[in-house]
Amino acid sequence: MSASTPKTLPTSGPKSILDICHPLSAEESVRTPSPDVGNTTGSIGEKDLSLPNGTPVDTSSPASSSSLLNRLQLDDDLDGETRDLFVTVDDPKKHVSTMETYITYRVSTKTTRVEFDLPEYSLRRRYQDFDWLRLKLEETQPTHLIPPLPEKFVMKGVVDRFSEEFVEVRRKALDKFLKRVADHPVLSFNEHFNVFLSAKDLNAYKKQGLALLTKMGESVKYVTGGYKLRGRPLEFAAMGDYLDVFTQKLGTIDRIAQRIIKEQTEYLVELREYGPVYSSWAGFEGSLQEPLEGVSGCVANCAGALEELTEDMSDDFLPVLKEYVLYIESMKTVLKKRDQVQAEYEGKLEAVAFRKEERTATPTDVEKCQDRAECFNADLKADWDRWQNNKRQDFRQLLTGTADKNIQYYEKCLAAWESIIPLLQDRQENTKTETS
Amino acid sequence: MADAEREDAAETDTPNASDTQEKNTNITIQRISFNAQFWKQMAEDGSTLLKRMEITVAEAEKRTGKKAVNMQETYTVYLLETRPSAAVNEGQSVAPDALWRRYSEFELLRNYLLVTYPFIVVPPLPEKRAEFVWHKLSADNMDPDFVERRRVGLENFLLRVASHPVMSSDGIFYHFLTQERGWKEVVYETGFQAKAESRLRALNATFRVKNPDKRFMEMKHYSDELQSITSQLLRARARVADRLYGVYKVHGNYGRVFSEWSAIEKEMGDGLQSAGHHMDAYAASIDDILEEEEHYADQIKEYLFFSEALRAVCRKHELSQYELETESLDLASKKQQRDELATGTMRTFSFKGMTTKLFGQETADQREARLKLLEEQIVEGEETVREKTTECEEHVCSGWVDIQRFKEQKDRDLREAFINYAFMQMSMCRKGIQMWTNAKECFSKM
Repeated sequence: MSASTPKTLPTSGPKSILDICHPLSAEESVRTPSPDVGNTTGSIGEKDLSLPNGTPVDTSSPASSSSLLNRLQLDDDLDGETRDLFVTVDDPKKHVSTMETYITYRVSTKTTRVEFDLPEYSLRRRYQDFDWLRLKLEETQPTHLIPPLPEKFVMKGVVDRFSEEFVEVRRKALDKFLKRVADHPVLSFNEHFNVFLSAKDLNAYKKQGLALLTKMGESVKYVTGGYKLRGRPLEFAAMGDYLDVFTQKLGTIDRIAQRIIKEQTEYLVELREYGPVYSSWAGFEGSLQEPLEGVSGCVANCAGALEELTEDMSDDFLPVLKEYVLYIESMKTVLKKRDQVQAEYEGKLEAVAFRKEERTATPTDVEKCQDRAECFNADLKADWDRWQNNKRQDFRQLLTGTADKNIQYYEKCLAAWESIIPLLQDRQENTKTETS
Repeated sequence: MADAEREDAAETDTPNASDTQEKNTNITIQRISFNAQFWKQMAEDGSTLLKRMEITVAEAEKRTGKKAVNMQETYTVYLLETRPSAAVNEGQSVAPDALWRRYSEFELLRNYLLVTYPFIVVPPLPEKRAEFVWHKLSADNMDPDFVERRRVGLENFLLRVASHPVMSSDGIFYHFLTQERGWKEVVYETGFQAKAESRLRALNATFRVKNPDKRFMEMKHYSDELQSITSQLLRARARVADRLYGVYKVHGNYGRVFSEWSAIEKEMGDGLQSAGHHMDAYAASIDDILEEEEHYADQIKEYLFFSEALRAVCRKHELSQYELETESLDLASKKQQRDELATGTMRTFSFKGMTTKLFGQETADQREARLKLLEEQIVEGEETVREKTTECEEHVCSGWVDIQRFKEQKDRDLREAFINYAFMQMSMCRKGIQMWTNAKECFSKM
């Protein structure tokens, strides 16, 4: 098969240009992106859309397979230092109108990228805007892992959607979502993302894109045509297995964490009953009054520290786990899509093999299909590595944070008990000297 | 650490801790060294038995004996060791006099003391069966931890009696400590049981005292409050312990899941695996923590039982006061009868008055005889009232002295118990900090 040598790979359009340009631009200067990227604003969406259907617009890409490799390495170095796009979500506000009640969040952007007209933006977006963005990203970057959004409906109406806690948890998740997109070497250059961050009137833009959406729907159908994969490459099979086990472990950790929160809450209830017993005892004692009050106060302090710990656990620990469960789902979706692309390619290849006796040259659409599969694999692998890296950092941070919270809890209790020791002892010395 | 704080206590001569407690945990040693110092001081304060003799309950042993026909019974015996203090202080190593006693014999001794010294707040024995335990703790009487805690409690009881200004010179008590054989017979010979039974009956009957001693009333009220608050505290503590146990043990599940998770990770694997071990250790650490905390519970429990002893002293005071009042009343009515008989007037309606009316005046002889009898009874009654009055005054006097002694002891003991408890909590916090720091180190290496 001639197409199996990756060197002859024509890259599949502007997306790959972005791919390649970004790390370079990140390394040298942000202000000199490839001309293609510079003026994509109007057309890029369309170009991207055409990609999954295998109709590359721009085949004359400067990319070669070696730069594909480079790309992977450069992406890994991206973290931190070379960031040129900063996004934060904060300041949730409740809007009440006759029609509906909803929350908007302030999305603030700071960037040096030339794709943006201004260096700073500050706009208000609501959940459904985020939802729209994610959908768009999924459509236009089918080969990439799109970070998850917080779940739309939470616990079947048990949770008050407008409560401060709920909004704060959601704000954090939305913030995380945008940051993950902003840090992604490909997704962060997506035009929809740009619009989301900068457009004053997002709804007008949304309506514009509606026609394209329906077109897209059909193309997806085409890809999804039932075909049984001959064999997944080992590394992707391993990814799938990994995700299965990881999901399971995360589920267990989540259950344990919830159980700990439950036990701690019950422990707190008992402590809150235990402490006051000392102070009611103090009520009918003479010289023991002070020590008893001391112990009572100390137990109350410890209970306070425990309450904080439990709150931190349920506010910070559990949502991160939840996000990762959703993240895994996104990853699985991408893996599935990859399988589909491979299936399409295999299907075409089989058809060709069937007609092989006719000795016709390998049809171009088969080659394109192979290109797409290869490209998908490369993107996926890059995203996978990036995801693994993120995951490692996130969990390192999460778990050391949890350890810190526990250490702080014990330190607070320790300080509380230490502080009453003099109270317990001093008086004893006094009574000793009194009696002697 | 708690040990550091207690160092001065440990530095001074601690005869009790010298040879018996080598293998015990820190906290027990600390407790015992505190005990030793405390008792030593007590011994110096008065000329008690403890000044002359060192007393330990050195060990416990399980025995099986025949109870009735073919009936096996298993019981625990405790080894009492006594040594002359003089020899110990001079640094000589004297082989102790040792003998075995059963819990029931301790009970007998205490009952004897209760009856013999009604005005003394007799120290309680450790509980017969474990009470106020959190669910994981064994309530089995043969459980080694329970037996060990009871050994400490029994020793504590003996030391308290031996350091008591009055009870320490009791002959029966001395006999209990020094001679294994024949002790029970000697106790029964005192006839304290008969006295105990009549006392018990009298105490159980409801009676109202007309002129109660206000101080004793207050003390009785206090003992009720103390009893209710300590049992409330013990119950609450047991529940807290239960929950704390749950919190720690659930963390142990992290140990397993981290280890399983580490199997599918590359760079994170090692960190996760060892963090899992720390979580296991964290979960396991609660067993020792709560076992130590039981000692605190035992100290509070002792005062729960003490409250009953305090109440008993007050009740006994009430009883003797009541007896005095009935005797006085009786005497007063006899005197009245005599006066009536002497003057021939009848101020009150009585059955006797009725009979006189119905059957006519009695003869002068008869009157004379009745008057004489009444006079005799009055003399007798006056004697009894006098006796009862002294008894009652004595009870008030010595009872109050002992109650004051008890109060001081209680304040000192409980304060010490709270300090120990605080140290225990601090050591638990330090352990927690240590373990989470270890885990954090592993996490940060991921």
